[in-house]
Amino acid sequence: MKIEFTHQPGNTAATLQLAQGERCTTESGAMIAMSGGLDIETTTHKRGKGGLLKAAKRLLGGESFFLNHFSARQGAGEVVLGTALAGDMMAYRVDGDALMVQAGSFVACEEGVEIDTSWQGFKNLLSGESLFWLKLSGRGQVVLSAFGAIYPIEVDGEHIVDTGHIVAFQESLDFSLTKAGKSWLHSMLGGEGLVCKFKGRGTVWCQSHNPGSFGLSLRPTLKRRK
Amino acid sequence: MQAQIRGSDAFSYLAVTLEPGESVIAESDAMSSMAADLDLQARMNGGLIAGLLRKYLAGESLFVSVFKNNTPAARSMTLVQPTPGGIRALDLHNDTFYLQPGAYLASTEGIKLGLGFAGFVSWIAGEGLFRTVVSGSGTVWYGAYGALLDKQVDGEYIVDSSHLVAYEPGIKLKLQLAGGLFSSFFGGEGLVTRVTGRGRIVVQTRSLTGLTGWINPKLR
Amino acid sequence: MTYKVSVTGYATPNAAAAQAAFAQAFKITPEKAAELLTTLPRTIKVGLDADTAERYCQALAKMGLNAEHSHHDAPAAKAAPSASATVTSAAVPAAKPAAAAPEAAPPPQPRAAAEQPGFQFRIDGAPDFAFLTVQLPANHSIKVEAAAMATMDTSIRMKTKLSGGLGRLVTGESIFVNEFSADTVAGEIGIAPGAPGDLAHVYLKGGEVLFLQNGAFVACDPDVTLETKWQGFTKGFFSGESFFLIRASGTGDLWFNTYGGMIEKEVDGEYVVDTGNIVAFTEGLDYKLEKFGGYKSLFFSGEGFVCRFRGKGRVWVQTRTSGALLAWAEQYRRVGKEA
Repeated sequence: MKIEFTHQPGNTAATLQLAQGERCTTESGAMIAMSGGLDIETTTHKRGKGGLLKAAKRLLGGESFFLNHFSARQGAGEVVLGTALAGDMMAYRVDGDALMVQAGSFVACEEGVEIDTSWQGFKNLLSGESLFWLKLSGRGQVVLSAFGAIYPIEVDGEHIVDTGHIVAFQESLDFSLTKAGKSWLHSMLGGEGLVCKFKGRGTVWCQSHNPGSFGLSLRPTLKRRK
Repeated sequence: MQAQIRGSDAFSYLAVTLEPGESVIAESDAMSSMAADLDLQARMNGGLIAGLLRKYLAGESLFVSVFKNNTPAARSMTLVQPTPGGIRALDLHNDTFYLQPGAYLASTEGIKLGLGFAGFVSWIAGEGLFRTVVSGSGTVWYGAYGALLDKQVDGEYIVDSSHLVAYEPGIKLKLQLAGGLFSSFFGGEGLVTRVTGRGRIVVQTRSLTGLTGWINPKLR
Repeated sequence: MTYKVSVTGYATPNAAAAQAAFAQAFKITPEKAAELLTTLPRTIKVGLDADTAERYCQALAKMGLNAEHSHHDAPAAKAAPSASATVTSAAVPAAKPAAAAPEAAPPPQPRAAAEQPGFQFRIDGAPDFAFLTVQLPANHSIKVEAAAMATMDTSIRMKTKLSGGLGRLVTGESIFVNEFSADTVAGEIGIAPGAPGDLAHVYLKGGEVLFLQNGAFVACDPDVTLETKWQGFTKGFFSGESFFLIRASGTGDLWFNTYGGMIEKEVDGEYVVDTGNIVAFTEGLDYKLEKFGGYKSLFFSGEGFVCRFRGKGRVWVQTRTSGALLAWAEQYRRVGKEA
């Protein structure tokens, strides 16, 4: 499978080129356009892996219950994918390691990738991140999306990322909730409040913008709900 | 200090590297990631009264955050505004620049943040009674929703009220109807700002009210 | 036909060394190079001729990077000859591909239509927040979507007209279109659509017809006729929300906008597009609404109905849908009446 990104980083679209016989799995609702001859199947799970329980867990991870599978049985074809909000996408090749992905950022993967849901502890209740994260493992390419540009941080020691800015991180990293700087008071007064501290060695991918902050700035002029 | 604006016009963010002893001042909640050993101090901007005025009259926050590198090596951090859009850097050498409410993102130590009365015109136009006045010497970073465009004004020019981001002191604002009474009401333009004088204005290519104006009819 | 060059992966296990070589060749910081080369494949150059593109690939291979070049129709390059000329005319040595640094997103080139008939205009802030500036000669006017005017010269006058008939009222779009005219002196007008996204420009020659999704209209020459077309119940799910399309005909400039990035697709045969992603299409295409996959997919895939285009023509597709944004915005709405 070949992945190509266009319209980066503002409104990225991913074009997946499937050779004959290849197959990919996408988040439901991600398809923008595709060539005429592809076969589509909708299931609650990856073929032959897990089932309703995994789908229910994925729902907790902020993803949808169903997954779409595109296969190029009759000949090569392309699928163009988009995301719900504006922003960039990235590709990552899982190769025996595991990647933790924030709720809603999963877009697509190759057949050899396992999708599971992982409990990240109650700290997420406080931070406003979701309680469950997707855990991608196995072998193959994955496509992830973000609100804003994506930048990687190579952590070796400790690094702080504000809540709402994490897209994905390698499983080798551990994260905890803490304050920015030395003082709780100043972290609160400075509007930072709780932040996530990553420890260990590995990469964390951040999104430049926080969708929650953007939502709040739209709030005053959005039509009221009855 | 090194500062780079990255992420294109769509999602500009500011990547800052602080050398030992250096610091940067940022709007409240602007930090998106940072080295864990940078120090953060919340500071009331210009004292309690000025801070309160800034919060309630200019739509900015009461506190600003000062990030300081007290370690022996360079440390990095990123700053960002709440909305997608462009960010600009402006170098000031003992001069003054006006920012519309909400446009301020960050500045170096030599920059003074003040509050200026923007006149009732600006207030009626929905732009706030006050504006942020940045002065001194150093760099200030500001931004808005949408891409940012420069326009050199010499004489008169009309800007829709929600699209003005910043302007030089040589510019004055006046208010007028977009067209006749009927057009101004039904044409959706309402009041517009007539900028007069000589100087540079910065315009945002999208507005938050334009976005919600597009969203709202589709909401139930 | 132009080519683009994309870095597809690392040919060496030492990614850092490849990034350093890349940084040196393109005269950018190692951090920037690392940032660029994290998300692969990454397009680093567009608008090249075949030879130059091949030389880029060879140079990148020496740095330890897998690269490939492919056909690329850059709609922006056609409208801005100056932009593509700077790339192709630059002598590109084999070892050092170019002095110009690659950008994660190429700096937005203001687009201008020099050879086109019609109004002089430029588009800034593309592709994500595209902004249209039109130069109006004296005694000329332009029709603009209500509330889209952002800046203008003081010499320009605005008049509001009813437009589009009942259809636009039913679909919640403004039924008023503003006409801006330069009565005695020439002037410019800056236009910002409400939705964040790109702008497309088409010059309609007499007899050409374009169908627009309701809400995509931005501005047009007064000689372009806009009509609201009832699609009928079978095709009515078209834009996911509307039974109406705008039919644009006549002669002159027409600008329309997308929400998100814009993909122009030449269709020759069949192409399937999600209903919410269609922005516009040319008259020669026939379209049919159909379910996505099997019946299970129809209800659970999240795609609902898709549109199958047949024939020869052009479709404009947007990379985001308003439906997804609306679903997201729901949580930020205040509840109840204004206090």
